[in-house]
Amino acid sequence: MDLRYSDEELAFRDRLRAWLAETLPQLPPAPDRDDWPARRAYDTAWQARLHAAGYAGVDWPAEHGGLGASPTEQLIFLEETARARAPYVGANFVGLLHAGPTLIVAGTDEQRARHLPRILRGEEVWCQGFSEPDAGSDLAALRTTAVRDGDHYVVNGAKVWTSHAEVADHCELLVRTDPAAPRHRGITWLILPMDAPGVRVRPLRTVVGSSEFSELILDDVRVPVADRVGAENDGWRVAMVTFSFERGTAFIGDVIESRNILAEVARLARATGTAGGTLWDDPGLRREVGRLAAEVTGLWALARKNVSEAAAGMVPVQGASVFKLRFTESRQRIGDLAARVLGRASLAMSDLPGAGNGRLVEDRVNTLSFTIAAGTSQIQKNILAERVLGLPKEPRWTSP
Amino acid sequence: MDLTLSTDQRDLRDGLRAFLRDAWTADRLRAAADSPDLDRGAWRALADLGVFGLEVPESDGGMELGAAEAVLVFEELGRALVPGPLVATYLAAALLGRPGAATGATVVTWADRTAPVQVVEHLAAADEVIAAGEDGLWALPAGKVAGTPAGIPLDPLTPVSHVVELPAGDPVGRAAAWRDRGAVLTAALQVGVAQGALDLAVRYAGEREQFGRVIGSFQAVKHLLAESLVRVDLARAAVLTAALTLDDPAAGDLAEAVAAAKILADDAATAGGRCCVQVHGGMGFTWEVLAHLYLKRAWLLETGFGEPGVHAERLADRM
Ligand SMILES: Cc1cc2nc3c(=O)[nH]c(=O)nc-3n(C[C@H](O)[C@H](O)[C@H](O)COP(=O)(O)OP(=O)(O)OC[C@H]3O[C@@H](n4cnc5c(N)ncnc54)[C@H](O)[C@@H]3O)c2cc1C
Repeated sequence: MDLRYSDEELAFRDRLRAWLAETLPQLPPAPDRDDWPARRAYDTAWQARLHAAGYAGVDWPAEHGGLGASPTEQLIFLEETARARAPYVGANFVGLLHAGPTLIVAGTDEQRARHLPRILRGEEVWCQGFSEPDAGSDLAALRTTAVRDGDHYVVNGAKVWTSHAEVADHCELLVRTDPAAPRHRGITWLILPMDAPGVRVRPLRTVVGSSEFSELILDDVRVPVADRVGAENDGWRVAMVTFSFERGTAFIGDVIESRNILAEVARLARATGTAGGTLWDDPGLRREVGRLAAEVTGLWALARKNVSEAAAGMVPVQGASVFKLRFTESRQRIGDLAARVLGRASLAMSDLPGAGNGRLVEDRVNTLSFTIAAGTSQIQKNILAERVLGLPKEPRWTSP
Repeated sequence: MDLTLSTDQRDLRDGLRAFLRDAWTADRLRAAADSPDLDRGAWRALADLGVFGLEVPESDGGMELGAAEAVLVFEELGRALVPGPLVATYLAAALLGRPGAATGATVVTWADRTAPVQVVEHLAAADEVIAAGEDGLWALPAGKVAGTPAGIPLDPLTPVSHVVELPAGDPVGRAAAWRDRGAVLTAALQVGVAQGALDLAVRYAGEREQFGRVIGSFQAVKHLLAESLVRVDLARAAVLTAALTLDDPAAGDLAEAVAAAKILADDAATAGGRCCVQVHGGMGFTWEVLAHLYLKRAWLLETGFGEPGVHAERLADRM
């Protein structure tokens, strides 16, 4: 056992650090939260820079245009970019973390050739059309249909909570192709071009006030059969491939971000005057800061342990669910602590003069989604209880 | 970077686990709870396995391993609820080279001079007491420390004595290493206590039936257990990292790693112990079921080598 990075890993880190130090000052200011075209342009320009410098698709295999980095190098990449406060993966998330890896595993050569280079270069933005109004945690209840018509599928239905749909070029779409089959066996995975006739995007307003996600209405949308990924009715298995990526290392950079936020909260508490001193004089507050610092330290240790296990060829089902549950809870507690320090400055999501409140308040509200998206906390606990602790399975859906 | 166990480490852990499973059965623990005098034979058996000499140089009969191995071993000791002043005796051997500590001939306990109330564990069974001040450490023959045994200790397997005055003793070292290592080893015991409590609760949840199904099929119960699992896994990663930082201080931030490990492990053990009691229902409130022993041990260990609040303040000061 060893905490240290190898010489090669350190060399990788130093190269990356140098590149970040040189590149980040050249970036334009981040766009307005609600200006989606500008956000897309900003995120994809960042991806293009990563690509030009050889850092696109760090974890993708080299034969598919990625860097083919080891899990440890991937950890270093996420750690260093977060530390340097480089732009977040943003609109490139689904392409780089879901759709691309899915095409690598389950796509045809033609599909890979068409999409993978464009995703890596930041020329193609994807969204994920899995959830439906009546199929969330119970994803296999999805009802959007696709009926074969010659060499096309004709798709009808509705998707919801589709992040980045407004600016996406393609959507990874789960549809039902065999309504008579058992639920998991009648699902197919399609590549939907977002400009196809019959696709309507209706932005939904989130609790933050922004439109991070949308509703997708699909009316007689024609998708070529050639854009099917995997076999017809085998989409559930293909989707599970996607999930195994989603629950892997997706949150590692966010641990660094948590530490930054916590440090900001501590700084504010030291700077906020009270009757006889500052907020920092309150031992209760200091202890809560300390406990959350312990959480962050522990999560980082767990992330490194998970990465080590992945590097040793183990599949981190347990590690990933444990990590997601605890990370998301900690992040929400940090938000509450920030609000406690801000006091009534927490009543505005926009900056008040000198209060340092805006980003912290927005973050507090935004983290409400963390325990919902990508498998709710309750679903994660079911997974741990059943798959790790071996307790009896939840009652399963049976046809009415 | 590699945080996975080597084959040797796995063998060390598995060997000890198998030994403890046979040595510290539920019946043995119940018996010990009713007559808690330290079993010297059992103590020497641990020493013979090398438990106290893990970090002692081979030339002195030890195994010359590191803190990483120590936390694997201490997790197993905690999981089996092995009684005795394990951490103090271990540190007396590893850090201070006190005669007889590694071989099990000398039982060493400790007292924290900075504590407002002196309550010493296993004083009657001990041969030597290490008194830790703000900076220094002193060794005292246990016979020189006058203590009043508590009639009813909280943890039935850990007799405690109230000590009014600690005599001076011989200076034997610095307190900093004692406290850091002690916190990490105590945290490792806590991870074991938490895991043991979880194992017991999961087993019961898979057997006990109500409403015509095992209670482990009820989601309220499942989620309690899953939450315990999350706490144990997080604490284990933190403890392992702290131990590796003890072995290679330049590879990390030792003060941060130690404090985080103790905070998270105390939380895992105390909340895990409570969970175990709760999942057992009325049985959990009986002396007979071991659930209370996990929780009481967790409460005991939480007070040693810095309670979580103290460590939390340290972490806050570093932010
Ligand atoms: C910010 C954000 C972005 C998202 N982006 C996307 C996206 O891009 N593409 C996409 O397809 N989806 C996306 N989602 C959807 C997300 O995957 C779902 O919201 C999530 O799976 C939960 O489904 P639901 O919203 O229907 O809630 P429901 O499944 O209706 O759950 C409601 C409540 O019931 C609980 N519950 C449900 N079933 C169980 C059970 N078996 N046991 C215990 N409790 C249960 C849940 O934990 C929750 O508390 C996004 C969601 C959010 C919040």
